Amino acid sequence: MSMKLPCVAVHGWAFHTPLGSDPERVLGRLLAGERAAASCPLFDAQSHPCVLAAAIPQPPQPSRRRKFLGRMGLYAVEVGIAALEHARQRVPQLAMLPSVRLGLFFGYGGLRAPWDELMLAMAEQAADLSLSWERGLRQLHPFFMLQQLSNNAHALCAEEVRAQGEGVTLAGPSAGAQALASASAALAAGAVDAALCVAYDSLIAPEVLIEQGLRGSLTRARTAAELRAPYDREAAGAVPGEAAAALLLMSDAAAEPLAWLQAADGAQAMRQVRSAAQVIDGAAQAVVAADREELQALGAGTRLTATLGSFGQVGAAAPLVQTIAVATALRRGELPPIAGLAADRAVCEAAVTAATRTSARAALCLSVGGAVAVEIGGASHV
Amino acid sequence: MSAVITGVGVVSAFGVGAAPFFAGLRAGASAVGPIRHFDASSLPVQVAGEVPLKDADLHPSRDRKVMFAALAAQEAWADAGCGEAERSAALHLGLGLELGLLDDLTELLDAQGRLDFARDRDEPRVRLRTPVDLSAREIKKQLGLRGGTVVNVSACSAAALAIAEAAASIARGDADVVLCGGADSMVNPLGLGGLERLGAPSPRGAADACRPFDRRRDGLVVGEGAALFVLESAERARGRGARVYGQLLGWGSSQDGYRVTAPRPDGSAAARAMRQALRRAGVAPAAVGYINAHGTGTVQGDPAEAAAIRLVFGEAADALPVSSIKGAVGHLMAAAGAIELAACLLAFTDDILPGTAHHQELDPGCPLRVLGAPQRARIDVALSNSFGFGGQNACLAIGRAS
Repeated sequence: MSMKLPCVAVHGWAFHTPLGSDPERVLGRLLAGERAAASCPLFDAQSHPCVLAAAIPQPPQPSRRRKFLGRMGLYAVEVGIAALEHARQRVPQLAMLPSVRLGLFFGYGGLRAPWDELMLAMAEQAADLSLSWERGLRQLHPFFMLQQLSNNAHALCAEEVRAQGEGVTLAGPSAGAQALASASAALAAGAVDAALCVAYDSLIAPEVLIEQGLRGSLTRARTAAELRAPYDREAAGAVPGEAAAALLLMSDAAAEPLAWLQAADGAQAMRQVRSAAQVIDGAAQAVVAADREELQALGAGTRLTATLGSFGQVGAAAPLVQTIAVATALRRGELPPIAGLAADRAVCEAAVTAATRTSARAALCLSVGGAVAVEIGGASHV
Repeated sequence: MSAVITGVGVVSAFGVGAAPFFAGLRAGASAVGPIRHFDASSLPVQVAGEVPLKDADLHPSRDRKVMFAALAAQEAWADAGCGEAERSAALHLGLGLELGLLDDLTELLDAQGRLDFARDRDEPRVRLRTPVDLSAREIKKQLGLRGGTVVNVSACSAAALAIAEAAASIARGDADVVLCGGADSMVNPLGLGGLERLGAPSPRGAADACRPFDRRRDGLVVGEGAALFVLESAERARGRGARVYGQLLGWGSSQDGYRVTAPRPDGSAAARAMRQALRRAGVAPAAVGYINAHGTGTVQGDPAEAAAIRLVFGEAADALPVSSIKGAVGHLMAAAGAIELAACLLAFTDDILPGTAHHQELDPGCPLRVLGAPQRARIDVALSNSFGFGGQNACLAIGRAS
């Protein structure tokens, strides 16, 4: 791993993905070459440029938090709590950790318009906005603003896990990788002893399907059977997905870690974390030019897989989702294939097109928003 | 490696530019008044710290946050004398993430109230998701910046945390120059309407509605604007002969982990952020000469902050000058920490501590030395507090240029 970036140990994890929430079972579906894409289940998208989506199948658990949070925020708090609990089971010392030494680092893509509620407030508005209060704004729920607030999931999660150490909420497509990098920096500086990092995002919203569908970055396939896989010579756009994922990070191996990681965001990310990765989990943009450009990161003997081809594009949540999926695969010694990709259609020979046994211990997870180097076992950084 | 401030840009209710902002604070004036840029007559609250934009300031993007961010960035960049050598600068912004403006929404809804737009447009122009990327993209395009972008959305502490991370990146040697700060606007029907439904603004609707630490305080006044700064290493600034406004000595952050809708009343978590900032700065509490408080003028927030200050400073808080500029410009939400850092610089450039507009009678529940009017004083270290919704706390320690 890179000498400059902090390397941190992963001691707990949890996620909600379109392929499920149990990492081992999700890996089983990845190994079977499954794709979560289906006709958009969250709203009628048949008139939109992109009609397929990969949604989290189960609704959020019933919770008092529902009055403050939208669906994705609820998932985010759930995985945050679950990842901390997972880590506490593995690292007994965490039970003794003072709450002031637990940091909380959130990243998400951005707000999506809450159409159902907005319609009530907007339907009768005049073009000049006169009498806007009487014409509908007074119908907004008293918690409307809390539900739209940028750090509401962070705040709820902090309350639930009693995190009182450092914390930030970041937004944008790179926010998941940036939250990981920020948490790693706080651990390296000794500002916290444990960092709970949570990322969530959903691209399954009407405005996203329209905007990105028109730009050509999302698939226009009408059925899952028509989909072209990423790294296909005729790849034609990704499937919008959604996910929430959380990692509990510490700077040292208080117990045997699930994995080690280094994270970086932005255009330089790949170069910063590039290491002796034996596997690359690609960004799977399914746009031929972007796919080919990315393959320049491949070194001799590096295998290429693409879990995001199965999950769908999960935005800012991708680096954390990939970390869990890829580390689980490395720990089991099996590489999942790029779902739906036939060997004779792949843009490179390194592409994994069938589940494969592997002894690889290090992988590089790439996404639109950043890069994460993942290593299992005795990490080469020490 | 310490980070110093070499460029400042401000957009506030006093006008576009740092000069009117500093002049307003020097004079102890308030710029809060009736909302003018849209018809707010039907809203329960009709006053705000509204930015008086002129036609020349208007930007093709109608989003006020984007306009403010771009204007403040241009001023800070020019003020620091930045040019080609600085174009690799990173951008760290603290932004609010409310939905688009109401007029954007109405534009996008058809008569049946169905989302059914853009499919036939040649170029989709959908601005509903968030203006996060718009502000950053606009600034980078205008200034030709090539560095990375980090957008912090930690509510009212967003800008302070963005500035803290910018300073940290310089201290770590990861960056030479960073443009950082915050921009926000909720002065639109949806923003004000949503806040009103939440019960956050003062119900009085008068220009003096926000009265931080006052016995009669009853809520905040919404403001809007931006403040951006050029931060660079002290060595670099010295090497190019740049004017230095002040140093970012330290920063701290913490979380209440308490309740979503209320601050931790004993102020203990906020106090930790302040102590951490002092520790990072290597400064004893006795060296602090002024605190720019978060001071929202809310019933619960001000006593909690007063408790935090007293936890850190003990009886010395009796003599320590504290003020809040939110009575003068309103609460800039995500940008609050940025404009309040700018206010602190007045202490170093002019030896003036800003006052607390509309503060008249100290609430005994806020036992602090609150400055009503601006005060002349020479100090070497100031703290700026930003305590966000849900208990995200940030504190910046700023020092006089050495």
